[in-house]
Amino acid sequence: MSTLKEILTRRPVAATIRLTVPAGGARPAPPVGPALGQYRLNLMAFCKDFNARTQKYKPDTPMAVVITAFKDNTFEFTVRSPSVTWYLKKAAGLEKGSGRPGHVTASSLTLKHVYEIAKVKQQDPYCQYMPLESICKSIIGTANSMGIKVQKEFD
Amino acid sequence: MSLVINSLRSHFFKHLLCTSTAAAAASTATALIFGHRTRGIVGQSRFSDSVFFFSERYKLLSQLASKTATFSTSRSSSSLETLPTDSYTSPYLSVTICCQKNVADMLSEALLCFGANSTSIDEHDDDSEVGDEICISSIFSVSQDVKESISLAVDSIGLKEIPSYDVVMHDHTDWIKESQESFHPVQVIEGIWIVPEWRKPPDLQATNIILNPGLAFGTGDHPTTKLCLMLLYDVIKGGEVFLDYGTGSGILAIAAIKFGAAFSAGLDIDPQAITAAQHNATLNNIQPEKLFLSLVPSTGSSTFTNEIVSKPTDRQHLNDKGVVTETEKFHVVIANILLNPLLDLADQIVSHAKPGATVGLSGIISEQVPRIIHRYSPFLEDITVSKMDDWACLAGFKKINLG
Repeated sequence: MSTLKEILTRRPVAATIRLTVPAGGARPAPPVGPALGQYRLNLMAFCKDFNARTQKYKPDTPMAVVITAFKDNTFEFTVRSPSVTWYLKKAAGLEKGSGRPGHVTASSLTLKHVYEIAKVKQQDPYCQYMPLESICKSIIGTANSMGIKVQKEFD
Repeated sequence: MSLVINSLRSHFFKHLLCTSTAAAAASTATALIFGHRTRGIVGQSRFSDSVFFFSERYKLLSQLASKTATFSTSRSSSSLETLPTDSYTSPYLSVTICCQKNVADMLSEALLCFGANSTSIDEHDDDSEVGDEICISSIFSVSQDVKESISLAVDSIGLKEIPSYDVVMHDHTDWIKESQESFHPVQVIEGIWIVPEWRKPPDLQATNIILNPGLAFGTGDHPTTKLCLMLLYDVIKGGEVFLDYGTGSGILAIAAIKFGAAFSAGLDIDPQAITAAQHNATLNNIQPEKLFLSLVPSTGSSTFTNEIVSKPTDRQHLNDKGVVTETEKFHVVIANILLNPLLDLADQIVSHAKPGATVGLSGIISEQVPRIIHRYSPFLEDITVSKMDDWACLAGFKKINLG
């Protein structure tokens, strides 16, 4: 967490920008271009930085990025792993969730899938302090809202 | 009807008369159709085929005169076949939504899920006195249904009513221009400056490399570019043959010539990069014999790449193409790309270097260095690592006796 000194010397924030960019695929084109261009940020620096830091992910997974642009045209950004719904859809092999969740089951997954997804999510800056069990529970909740059933094992 | 066609034509003309490198070719095409401009632009004769294609399209489009809304999409689809990089040049919609502060974060996340390309929230200094309202500006692509996306997003977070919003269509030149504002002349080493095309060099006596990166990588102020330039400066003594793998804007290849190399070659997988690099080479008055640029031979071939390679001024270099694909021809090889390409292409990159040649690798962050060292240690000896700001650059000599 920030020290008092950091808080006092914090640069004034101009804006907070949220984007979804494919891992390793940031280019100075839409969506990155217009969003950052209007705050006069250095597009190349962001693209290179982002691409270098997302090398460990599979290419083209959509990563959520939050960029904090400061008034002096510098910026910082944090990268979050893709959304749980994206992981679930990929694991279940679906394009979209079920049209009527709760009534119509689109697909099913095992606990093993949920565990793997929870492990990836735990590396997110926001989830690091949560016990793995609670992360799993919240993933199961999301799966239920999408119409994906979670079983112990495949029959 | 003729009024509409005229307005369409000016719309057409306006969209094509853009300053970006990809569209410069399109403006040549329009010049040949409309004959408004003089022949000065027609250096790019390769587009003679696409001009006939264009005029066919224009006849079709003028028949659709009543549907101005579809005009912009059909224009972009026609130009898509002649210019492969249309995503860079397409217009976009900017939507400003005003809502309450406490829902702003959730609303922007929801918007991202439902089709927005990006959302940004401006910070206000005086937020203690101003009321609850805050504005989110969001960017959508032209094909998105803004109203639908916003209502879905608002629904999903439980707001009762749709907040007021404002839609403005922007041209791509807006953001390109704004991002160009952030480039300033940069001094990398004592006496070497990198100057953007639209600014004046601060020191006319120094070695100035003039750049217009366009939409390619390599403006000169990234730590990896600086590290590579410093490496080049140390290694090039005069008369070497240099390969820039992943040339981007061509900055390293051009710098090598300026430092005294005899011949420079630049390879890249992005056609935009090759265009930008060729443009920069002319800006710096580099003779075509000294600098050769090409797309990496193995990647997919579209008609665009064939046109690049068979450009008249490069015809004499088709023999030199053999230089690039032959192995063991270069005294210095630098690859400033990313971790994964460096790992995958290790064999290829090293095969271009002569035994004992200097090989430089960059574009990696410090924590990725051990993996690169591990991958390249069969080929290189005396590997040194230089770092700047969490970025690293490796330099080594190719082993003389490889198996």
